[in-house]
Parts: sequence; structure tokens; C-alpha cells
Amino acid sequence: MIGVLSYLVFFATMASILAIAVLGLNLQWGNTGLFNGGVAAFFGMGAYVTLILGGLPQPDRLGGFALPYLLALLGGGAGAGLLAWVVGRCTLHLRHDYLAIATFGIAITFENVARNASWLTGGAQGLRGFEKPLQDTFGAGLSYNAGFLAFVLCVLALVYLFLERLVASPFGRLLRGIREDETAARSLGKAPARIRLTAFVTGAVILGLSGGLFATFYGFVSPQDVLPILTFQIWAMLIVGGSGNNLGAIIGTVLVWAAWTLSGWALSRFAPLDMQLYTGSIQYILIGSVIVAMLFWRPQGLFPERLLISRPARSRGTTSGQTGSTDT
Amino acid sequence: MTTTLKTFGAGLALGLSALASGAAAQSCEVKIGGIFPTSVDWGRPIAETAKFAVDQVNAGGGINGCTVDLLLRDSQSDPKVGVDAAKALVDLDGVKVLLGAVGSGVSMPILTTVAVPAGIPEFSCCSAATAFTALAEEGKSKGLWFRTYPTTDVQAAVTAKIVADQGLEKVAIFYKNDDWGQDYAKLLAGYLDQMGVTVTESVAANAAQPSYRAEVTTALATAPDGIVGLLYPTEASVLIREWISLGGSQKMVFSNSLRSDEFREAVGDKYLTQAVGMDNAAPRVASADAFVASYTENFGSGPNGPGLPNSYDAAMIAMLAMQAAGPDASGADIAAAVAKVTDPAGTPVTADADGFAKAAEVLSAGDTVMYQGATGNVVFDANGDVAAPAVMWKFTETGTEEVTYFTMEDVRSMLTGN
Repeated sequence: MIGVLSYLVFFATMASILAIAVLGLNLQWGNTGLFNGGVAAFFGMGAYVTLILGGLPQPDRLGGFALPYLLALLGGGAGAGLLAWVVGRCTLHLRHDYLAIATFGIAITFENVARNASWLTGGAQGLRGFEKPLQDTFGAGLSYNAGFLAFVLCVLALVYLFLERLVASPFGRLLRGIREDETAARSLGKAPARIRLTAFVTGAVILGLSGGLFATFYGFVSPQDVLPILTFQIWAMLIVGGSGNNLGAIIGTVLVWAAWTLSGWALSRFAPLDMQLYTGSIQYILIGSVIVAMLFWRPQGLFPERLLISRPARSRGTTSGQTGSTDT
Repeated sequence: MTTTLKTFGAGLALGLSALASGAAAQSCEVKIGGIFPTSVDWGRPIAETAKFAVDQVNAGGGINGCTVDLLLRDSQSDPKVGVDAAKALVDLDGVKVLLGAVGSGVSMPILTTVAVPAGIPEFSCCSAATAFTALAEEGKSKGLWFRTYPTTDVQAAVTAKIVADQGLEKVAIFYKNDDWGQDYAKLLAGYLDQMGVTVTESVAANAAQPSYRAEVTTALATAPDGIVGLLYPTEASVLIREWISLGGSQKMVFSNSLRSDEFREAVGDKYLTQAVGMDNAAPRVASADAFVASYTENFGSGPNGPGLPNSYDAAMIAMLAMQAAGPDASGADIAAAVAKVTDPAGTPVTADADGFAKAAEVLSAGDTVMYQGATGNVVFDANGDVAAPAVMWKFTETGTEEVTYFTMEDVRSMLTGN
């Protein structure tokens, strides 16, 4: 039973880390309509910068500044935000599929830089990071993992509350306005280019935080962590959950990640012996089928966006201002 | 939101524990976990070979009389998936030993995040990165890391020796731009430097480019006496053709990955008469031949893919160590028992069902054994690394042939650990 608990803590940690990334993408795509095909680059930037800032010095490599952990993590988010700012300045005038292709190119570029700039990133060997923060206090094993899960859940909750608040605010309405009809927004005296950039950078900072937590969890990052499959996974989670809905994004993450991992476990456990060697391929087919089926039968996701024009008005008088959106 | 997660988690826990209690019906079973990229074409044979080793042990009576059940999980070459699979194997299935993974980028997070915290030994067939040695030297792998694949250091030392023996004084290096290639090129440059050979340029080649003209001209501009190609056939077929057609030196030294008919035919053997290469060699012992024979009998063809004998030995040594540690041993006990089954002074045992049965007998009497495996008499150093014999080979009109054999002792003397 302790094993099941230990695994669930582990699973929940990874799912929560990915959920933060999906929330970041949801701000960009779900709320603002920015097709970010380079999720892996911003996630990776957060992961690498966190390890470079917080890591121990290593021979023949720059970095390893051994900064306090929280500073390193925030640095990771800031690094991803900076990358998004540069990329955004160059590409955000592009629309939809053009933006997707441009950002996808950024992700490939990032992976190649990570693979080649061994003086900074450790190259294809990957980057070994720091000792897990507060390991002495929590000890190894389950207690540490549980403590780290609590920390990740706090970050997830903060990001969630922040985004719910943002989406319900006039700024959130403006984002949706730009998503639906940019010309109309401009006619009302808004500056879509600046707003799009703000949303893109904010989303990227959240992606970067997620990457930083990921790198902390493994204490290691390599170019294999930032392959295009990661972008695909994050997108699948958002599509299944329902883009435009933050709660949907979180639930979508848990479901897709569970499908991804538990299908492998179930197959290894229950598939006939002769089929054991083929479970990897079967799993790919299963995951693909689920996503295709989802797109056929429920393209808006499990928890579609709910367009409430007067959401702040309805919840006025309550203390939090978010209660109206979490009553699923 | 947290409530939703918790409810989901609780539901999952109930479901899982119901499954777990339903499956533990067999009389006596020992589980071991294997994480391989089974959905990748070259990964599946590695998993099949591990499975073959398990079948042999079961034919030899199993571990401490119990049937061995190999739980195979696919890593999809994705570190997240591989680490999750390892965690599930340890926590949900209660395995005490992990086999795998293949890529260093997957094996490393498994080791640091799952194996070391849980005290479970990890036996990899194929991860060659030197980062593991560094981790072990810092004491962070806690003696739980073993690999039957000679590190790139071995390949680099032998390649440097071959380059020097060819009389080359100035060479350019082309290397495949992945962890193996980068590591190899760096270590090789270090060894060449010690031997007084100048490296004029070290050029990275990314996989699957339609042309490597830029890389080739970079190296050509430095006018080397010859080149070293640390590449795979796909990119080397294109790159070496371009190198020769632009007038590059035909004095070439290649890595083991280019000992391939595909590559020889793509370039043409008349351009390869001055080319030689290094390869890890099966030791000239009966046990390696026996493995080839039994493998061929079982699969219908010889063990021709990468990492197959290594996968067999990793699985066998893991199971011998479990036998030596006795029933209900912890992961750390099993890791400690590896020395008992790879003891150069121990009773020699063969790498098959009879050998396992004999080993069980010797071990139960309190003695140690020397496992004579598919890759020879495997001996791990303090960092879990192995040395291995090597050969120098050259191309012929019909294939490749061996020129020089370097014994395990020769190779050990070349290693300076730079």
C-alpha cells in the first residue's frame, strides 16, 4: 500500500508540473489565440536556466552559480519570459499557422543549441543540477517527494488563481476580444500587438516555471527532455481538457498523463506474454486513438470554455471573485 | 482543484490496489523490471535478448527456486515516460532490480530520481555516457549503477592507439552530434594529445542531413593527414562520399558503428582500402561463442544488433546477484552481491541455463563465481564500469576483416582515465 501511495505522489508531482505548463499554454492559446508550437523551448529554457543558476560549479562549463533555490527557479521563469519577449517581437505579427511554424522552428533551434553548446548546457550529455533543496530537512524517499509535491501544488494553485483572476478581469476580456476579432479591438482604441506580447510572455514565464520544477524534480535535464513530443503532449492535454478553461486544462493534464503512463503499466501487467514486446507500439496507437476520438466527438474538450460576459458582476460581493468559475 | 486531484487519486489508489491483490496468485515468483525503448526498431531486440536471458534462468530452475517474471516497460525514448515506468515498477510491482534503460538521457534520471532514492540497483546494457562515471566518483550512485557496455573511454583509448599506429600526425575528427559522439570526440582528442597527434578540427555532424558539404570543407581547410569518423552509417555514407569526392585523404579511422556492409557499399570498397576501424571485441573465450550459438538457435539469426550481448549479460548478472543475495534481499544486498558473481577468483560458470544452475549450487555453498558471459569475463570497477577487448579491422571486397586483437589487459593499459 505504501508503494501505491509513493507512486501516486510521484505521479501527482509530474502531473502537476505538466499542468502548470498546460495553464501557461492555455493563456496563450485558449485565451489569446496565439498558436505556440514551441512549448518545448520555453519549458526547456526554464529547466536549463534553473539548473545553470542553481547548480553546483562543474569543470569545463560556464554556470553552476549555486544560487538559492527559489531565486534559481524564478530565474528560470524569467529566462523563458525573456526568450518569449525576443521571439514575440519577431513573430507575433504572424497569424495562426504561420506563428505555429515560426515557434516550432524556435523549439528546434533551442533543442539544437542545448545539444551543441556544451560549454553552457552540457551538450547531449545533459546537465546535472544541484542537490535537491531542503533534502536534509525532509530526508530521502517518500517524505521528500510528498514535501516537493506540496510545493508544486502550491505553485500550481498560485498560477491557477492568478490566471482565473486575470481571465475574469477587464484584461482577460481584452484578450478574448483580440482572439475573436482584432480589428474590432483596435477600433475600440486597444493596442493588440502589445497585449498579445504581454500574454505571450506571461504564458512563457509560466511554462518556464514548470520547466524549472521539472528540472528540480529530476535534478537533471538533457536535450531528450525538450524534443517536439513534449510540445505535442502539452497540446494534447489542453485539447482534451478544453482550451480556454483553466480547470479543464488541469484535468486534461491529469487524464492524458494518466493515459500515457497507466496504459503502459496496464499493458505490461495484463497483456499476454507474447505481446509484451509490442506493448510500446500498442500504447502509441491507444494514445493516438484517444486524441483522434476526442477531436471527433468533443472538439471543444471535456470542459469547454464558458463565455460569461458578466462574470465579475455576478460574483461581486463575494470575497475571492473566482467562485463563479470553479463550480464545475 | 486540489479536491478534484485528491478524489481522482483516491479512486486511482482503490483501483490499483484491487488490481494488485488480484494478480498475486502464483506460488512463487520473482519480478524484475525492464525499461527499454520497445517501440523503437533497434530497442526491441535488446528487450528480447533480456527476455531470452530470463527464459534461460527459468530453464535453470529460477532464482532461489522461484520463476522469474520480467516486467517490460516501454520508455518511448522519453525520459518522463521512462522514469514514470521505473517508479511504477519499483512502487507498484515491487521489483528489486531494474534492467535498462538504453539511452543515457533516460537512464540518468531513472538512476537519480528512482533507483538511488529507493535503493534499487540499475543494470544498463547500453548507456555509454561518461556522466555516470562522474556521478559514481562523487559517491552519488551509491554503488547501485552497473553497465555492461564499455564506456566511450575504452573506445576512445583504442581509437587513439590505432590512429597513432597508422602513423597519422594531424587528423580531423568528424563525430555524430549526440551524447555518444560528443563524448567520444572529446575523450579521443585528449588521448591523441597525450600521444602527440594534433587534432586540426573536430567537426560535429547532425543526423540525417542531405549533405555535409559545410562540415567537410571545414575539415578540409585544415589539411589533415587523415580523418577519424565517429559516425553512424546513415550520415557517414553521405559525409565520407563528399569527403573523398572533394579530395580528402583516404587515410581514415572509423568507430565500431561503421563496421557495416551498408556503409561499405554506399562508399565503395575501392575508396576504403586505407581505412581501418576499432570495434569492441567479443573476448576469445568459449562463453562468447556459446552465446552466439544459443542466440542463433533461439532467434534463427545471430546477435547482430547493437547491445545484444551486453543486454544478455546485464540481465544474467542481475539475476545471479539476486540468487547470491538470497530470497527477500533488499536492493542494496543485491548490488553488494554483484561482486560475488563476478569474482575473478571464483568458480567459472557459463552463461546459460546449466551455468545458472551450477552458480546457484556454488553460491549456496558460500563460494563465489566468475560469470563468463556473452561479453567475456565481466568485471565491474568501483564505478560500475567495464573494460573490454577490442579489435582493429579493415574493409575487404566482401565485408570487413580483423587486423589486430587487443586483449582486455592491453585495453586496460591504454586507459589513463583522462
